[in-house]
Amino acid sequence: MSLIKEFTKGFVKENPVFIMALGLCPTLAVSSSVQNAIGMGFAATFVLIFSNIIISLIKGFIPSKIRIPAYIVVIASFVTIVDMVMHAFLPPLHKSLGLFIPLIVVNCIILGRAEAFASKNNVLKSFVDGLGMGLGFTLALVVIATIREILGAGQFFGINVLPKSYIEKPMLVAILAPGAFLIMGLLMGLMNIAKKKK
Amino acid sequence: MKYYIKLGLILLLITSVASGILALLNNKTQPIIEENQRKEAEQARKEVLPEATVFEEVTTPDFSYYIGKNADNQIVGYTFVASKFGYSSEVKTMVGVNPDLTIKKIKIISQSETPGLGANCMKPDFAPKFEGLKLEKLKVDKDGGDIKSITGATITTRTVTNSIKEALEKLMNILPKNNIFEEKSAEEVSR
Repeated sequence: MSLIKEFTKGFVKENPVFIMALGLCPTLAVSSSVQNAIGMGFAATFVLIFSNIIISLIKGFIPSKIRIPAYIVVIASFVTIVDMVMHAFLPPLHKSLGLFIPLIVVNCIILGRAEAFASKNNVLKSFVDGLGMGLGFTLALVVIATIREILGAGQFFGINVLPKSYIEKPMLVAILAPGAFLIMGLLMGLMNIAKKKK
Repeated sequence: MKYYIKLGLILLLITSVASGILALLNNKTQPIIEENQRKEAEQARKEVLPEATVFEEVTTPDFSYYIGKNADNQIVGYTFVASKFGYSSEVKTMVGVNPDLTIKKIKIISQSETPGLGANCMKPDFAPKFEGLKLEKLKVDKDGGDIKSITGATITTRTVTNSIKEALEKLMNILPKNNIFEEKSAEEVSR
């Protein structure tokens, strides 16, 4: 029962982006299209799951004084693995995510979960936590990206969804940097209202 | 003291395991990545110079280009990569030129300009703007030329234009020398 709870908490109750406000830098940067959001979300989820597993496995072995550098090494290794594998087998996706993949290293969600969860819980729980948090992060990215892409380019997943007259003169601000801040802020506010009403 | 040495050794152990795994994986993926990039460049060259069947690479200290030849071993044009920093990224363009150095076709091969503005240079109506242009015609409308810039993305348009211009000038500087050189060697052979 508690495993299901660990899994679902990442979606709404402890959503890394909207509630814990972690990993905002990649969120703002890659949410300009749904395709990038999904790619980034899954790459981060992969790193999160494996770093959680490994850190949970070696938690007894690492003295607490050097735990942060040890975690960073584990996380950075998995990020590099994702980078190399994606570059070799999914070159188009690697091209569009490019710069953001190395940035997963400094995504505080991953170090945050390692520190707050994986270093205190067993492997199975850490795996479920990583999966849930990763998918929660992906969900948040996709929600923001959907709004930005539809408003800013009239497209969803690269397919035109709004009339041609709109696509020619879309609300460009939504796809530019300010749009990311505005839309994320509004969504965070909505989440807070919903939370208060409960 | 002993405790701190132990800490260092544990870190050393973790980092060596990590680097070992990464080195192994790098060994496996590196050839695939290089192969992909080679294929991609080959594909782009074919696209901008469809008549050519063989491409010969020519490298000079500050510029490298390809001579495109058809099945009869005649030169049908040249291709090169023009690149310059645009608004937010390096914009790389594969350019194909005819033997008289008018532009045949161009293709943007990598960029990460602003989506919706500069990134519109990837749209199908951008590249044809350059077709058939000569070196002196490479100017954006805002600089008094004929190339119509993308709405709201003059910087990207200008970047592409200027990068091609610079690369084409380099190619022009190299080509006559080579031709003279070839003529000389031909003379020497006839003597």
